[in-house]
Amino acid sequence: MVNPSDIIQAGEHVLIKMPSDNVKCVVLNAGSTISLGKFGSFKANDIIGHAWGNSYEIYDRDNKTRVYHPDDMNEIDETANNNREIVDDGASQKLTSEQIKALKNEGLKGELTGEEIVNKLKESHATFDKKTAYSQAKYLQKKGKKFHKVFTPIKPTTYSLNEYFYIKNPAKIRDIRMDTLSQLLSYSNVHAGAKLLVVDDTQGMVVSALAERMGGKGTILGLYDGDSPHYDIVKYMNFDQETLNSIKTLAWGRIHRPVGEKTPDELQDVTQLTGKDLEGYHRRLKAYNIVEESRKILFEGDFDGLIIASQYQPESILEKLLQYVRGSRPVVVYHTYKEALLETSTWMRKSPDLLAPQITESWLRKSQVLPGRTHPEMSTWGTGGSLLTATKVIDFPVQAALTKRERLAIEKKNAEAKKLKRAREESEASGSEAVEATTTTADTTTSTTTTTSTEEESKEDDERSSKRVKQE
Amino acid sequence: MSVVQQSFATYKENNTIEDGDLVVVYLARENMSIIRIKDGEYFNCKFGSYKHSDMIGLEYGTKLGSNTGRGFLYLLYPTPELWTQVLPHRTQILYIADISFVMNFLNLKPGMSMIESGTGSGSFSHSIARTIAPTGHLYTFEYHQERVNAAKKEFEEHGLSHMVTLQCRDVCKDGFNMENKVDAVFLDLPAPWEAVASAKKAFKQDKIGKICTFSPCIEQISRTVTALSDNGFVDIQMYECLIRFNEIRVIPMWTIEEAMEKQRAIEKKRKRALPRVLREPAAAADEQEEEEAKKIKIESADDSNVSSAIGTPSSTTGSEMDEGVQVKSETATPSVPSTPILSSETASPSTSSDPRERIDPKNVMVTRLPVEQRGHTSYLLFATFTPATQPPNLTQQNAAKKA
Ligand SMILES: C[S@@+](CC[C@H](N)C(=O)[O-])C[C@H]1O[C@@H](n2cnc3c(N)ncnc32)[C@H](O)[C@@H]1O
Repeated sequence: MVNPSDIIQAGEHVLIKMPSDNVKCVVLNAGSTISLGKFGSFKANDIIGHAWGNSYEIYDRDNKTRVYHPDDMNEIDETANNNREIVDDGASQKLTSEQIKALKNEGLKGELTGEEIVNKLKESHATFDKKTAYSQAKYLQKKGKKFHKVFTPIKPTTYSLNEYFYIKNPAKIRDIRMDTLSQLLSYSNVHAGAKLLVVDDTQGMVVSALAERMGGKGTILGLYDGDSPHYDIVKYMNFDQETLNSIKTLAWGRIHRPVGEKTPDELQDVTQLTGKDLEGYHRRLKAYNIVEESRKILFEGDFDGLIIASQYQPESILEKLLQYVRGSRPVVVYHTYKEALLETSTWMRKSPDLLAPQITESWLRKSQVLPGRTHPEMSTWGTGGSLLTATKVIDFPVQAALTKRERLAIEKKNAEAKKLKRAREESEASGSEAVEATTTTADTTTSTTTTTSTEEESKEDDERSSKRVKQE
Repeated sequence: MSVVQQSFATYKENNTIEDGDLVVVYLARENMSIIRIKDGEYFNCKFGSYKHSDMIGLEYGTKLGSNTGRGFLYLLYPTPELWTQVLPHRTQILYIADISFVMNFLNLKPGMSMIESGTGSGSFSHSIARTIAPTGHLYTFEYHQERVNAAKKEFEEHGLSHMVTLQCRDVCKDGFNMENKVDAVFLDLPAPWEAVASAKKAFKQDKIGKICTFSPCIEQISRTVTALSDNGFVDIQMYECLIRFNEIRVIPMWTIEEAMEKQRAIEKKRKRALPRVLREPAAAADEQEEEEAKKIKIESADDSNVSSAIGTPSSTTGSEMDEGVQVKSETATPSVPSTPILSSETASPSTSSDPRERIDPKNVMVTRLPVEQRGHTSYLLFATFTPATQPPNLTQQNAAKKA
């Protein structure tokens, strides 16, 4: 019943939460020693094979580890003590800093446990008893963190990796924060078996999140520019082979076969090849087949969603890829800067292929929860990026059950409107002011007012499509 | 009826609307409804009447015109996200911000098994089911019999009942009666702390598990924190998450020089107008004009940046009112125009044809949050269930010694 993904495996990437609460990313090679800097080190084999979820304490000279059970967070009684008499000039601690350093060294060497050190500090603290229960607890917690060498292996998941990179190097993942990414996943309606078209410049953060939600069932086709896809984060996810196989890639430059490009078989006669040449041929053939497969996936279309988290102008991508997406499927665009999505949203409003574009931003606040001392954290997250979402719709309005006369009347009306419009365009082109009009309208909301089903709008839509046809 | 039952957990292979299918009818973002297609029936709304039979055979996502030719609607595929927007409310429900964040934090993915209580209106249940499908399982608990019945029917109709077990049960009094079964637990109950001990038993005991409780009040959180730590849960964290829906606007921005030009023109006009027209109406007209001059003209984002937008039928709304100033997004010039033209009547023919003499303000695209928006939903409290600790087995100990 034990699922291998519930167990810490040799060779995997692991996030290690250190006593300082900093998180470090390591590869857990069997037999290796993992250094935690000033907190010492531990042996990979001591945690390999264990279930995820426990914390460990490094407790002796040989860097032995054992499972650590944090003390219960007991309700802190407000005692009569207060902090009035406490002068924090360092003088209340009777141990000298040399002595403390020595204790710490003993700890690092494994001669004293963290608990023993903290007890010593507490005993030689002149005013410890006078502290409030709260600050006593805080003191012990602070010292405990410093002297207990406790670490926690964290399984890399969409959430934990996103948090890790968001804190460590937000630029790497284009500032996409856990809440924004979670909304991207919802808006994408990603699920096992989906076929998704993705343009991901977040080092694979978005692709990883989508792949995790598909569990190896379905297909992700990622378009990339440059020499190779930069999906660095995928490798941290410890995906199984099935999931890795569900991620296909295609270079923008290879969507269409360059004119004159020859297949490996057209280039070389395989029957004449031996040794190195034959190996080279097989390498080329494999690469060629991968590209051919990705092209086929793209050109077959019928994608269940288009997800873009790119540095490039979203409209330029939408113009190329929207045609491959099925009706009633989500289009989700992520960008670090909301402003970069404004033009795209306007573009979407005008596109007959997209319904109800909407720009959202997310707000996330974390709180400290300590019994009796719960409050929002003092520093909070700024940007988490912005999402623009819409639904792909089908551009050929079907007019339901019209009598012949009704249909003719509508067609006549449309033709007249078109004629009028053409006349306007012509007069405009010639610079004459024959047609007086302004573009100012009372209603300016684009995100909440959506398509209302009025005659005017449908006319407008017809014009949009006719415009489109003309452009093509 | 279609051969394979349609499911909220996935799309239909052929993406085609068939007799018996569910369709989300989209009229506007705030005006959607879910219907089941039945040959011979009609969908009626204020823009017209639509025959179900006309929808059969169409692809999901199709735009359908009404029989009057006056209106249209979109036929969308039902997803958990749309369900949250159209479902009949029997209780307060979870919306996309909380749903998404909780699913991400709990690391939901295909194959997971999970407890949820209470089921309420099933808003969250649908998203969970979609995310853990096809191999996962949702155990959802609700003590209100009518809500149980309604939710049961919905899960069946939405093709989810094979992966959702719904029980009518007071989980605070009687617990979940489950052992060693689930990877995650979500509690949206008035007194979640009463269900924590039972939830602990329900977790798969030899692996990590995550719990989330959802409470609007901080006092509820306090009690739950105590219950969680008493029961050995660790890494207790609390979050709040909100979504901001932005509105986009295009606002023209005149320079102060342009504004002064305009003011001067108004004064000039006033001098000319006074002797001819009765005092009172003229003053009124001036007032109106001044008002307009001050007012920041807002151009619909819909029409901006379309060169042909000038003069399209959709852009004529309010044109009589706004004739005074021409707003032309595509010709915005940074240079200050010399004499602005106020309206075609007051302008002499020679100047009216000179485009340099118009006020062409710079248009700026801006966003704005609605005046009223959600300020709080609930506190999301998370904690980790730690697996039973096992001693490393012999081979590992030996391996460790060798290393
Ligand atoms: C706010 S609603 C849940 C809404 C749900 N999360 C959704 O998104 O639709 C809370 C539900 O919990 C149910 N409930 C309250 N106490 C309960 C208990 N002790 N056992 C089972 N259900 C309970 C209520 O009847 C109510 O339907």
